[in-house]
Amino acid sequence: MLLEYDVSTNPLNTVEWLFAAMECVHISAFALSIGTIALVDMSLLGVGLADQSPAKILRATELWTMAGLTLVITAGLAIFSSDPLRYYYSPTFRFKMWCLLAAIIFNYTIHRKVVQSNPSPVVAKVTGAVSLVLWITVIFCGLFFAFTAGGY
Amino acid sequence: MSVASISHAIQSTDLFTAVRQSTLFYPIVLSTHLTCIAIFGGMILITDLRLLGLALKSIPVGTVIESTRIWKRLGFVLMITCGILLAGAHLDKYYANPYFQMKLSLLVLIGIHGLYFRGSVYKYPVDLDLEPALPLKAKLAGGISLILWLSVVICGRWIAYYDDPNAIANLMRKLLHPV
Repeated sequence: MLLEYDVSTNPLNTVEWLFAAMECVHISAFALSIGTIALVDMSLLGVGLADQSPAKILRATELWTMAGLTLVITAGLAIFSSDPLRYYYSPTFRFKMWCLLAAIIFNYTIHRKVVQSNPSPVVAKVTGAVSLVLWITVIFCGLFFAFTAGGY
Repeated sequence: MSVASISHAIQSTDLFTAVRQSTLFYPIVLSTHLTCIAIFGGMILITDLRLLGLALKSIPVGTVIESTRIWKRLGFVLMITCGILLAGAHLDKYYANPYFQMKLSLLVLIGIHGLYFRGSVYKYPVDLDLEPALPLKAKLAGGISLILWLSVVICGRWIAYYDDPNAIANLMRKLLHPV
């Protein structure tokens, strides 16, 4: 039963190094997922791998993005399980989850459509900027959650 | 002058005192540090995977390295600036932290790695695309860089847990038995 779940038995709270190890996986995996998305965003903005089309960069990176997202979310769920109630009741964490949801949906709908079409420079730039802002907000929320008093 | 007194003097400068005592600035700097890991660290990661012949195979190595070079440099400066602010603000606590020392040593190794492979890999990466298959030196450069950077991330995270190895257990105890 969920109600009987006792966080003190969670390996993340009993094995001294496991929580930190999960955080390392979480960080490395968001470098992979957000890093590859950022390459597409930057090319939409006309910088970075600018002589390659955004569509080509998307094709070259999408599997890595997916692998990174799978890993970062899996590690995130493990970290969440170490103290679900604290996360659940934190407004910062909830905001992070809404931004994450928005970022993922945006990435696999509008972002993808724009990248695969032949967007006007304005549409391309706005799409790239929105994507970057969404993902950076997710990172900032993750950090601010840890820094706000009492975990809020 | 001991390392302890130098560290204390650095930490006590106006700049680092201000960073330490701020409520908003410190987490903003830390978030920026992490954002740099995501965006510019991600670029390093994908370059390493390209050198290993695993990712971005449809894009030439030369293009990947040359068109991300300026961004990696800018990102590195921003990441290091944030890192100095974060470390300087708590240098009293960090200078003797073995993971902090390991992280700095790894960054030195990353510098040596860059110099060592500069001539053969990074300076003229277009040459790598002329070869029939990715040469061993490219794979070595990518593989070693990947290991070094992942180790930097791991040490960076472990710095936080050295001071009090029981930090998590204590937090749990507090949560489970609120006073």
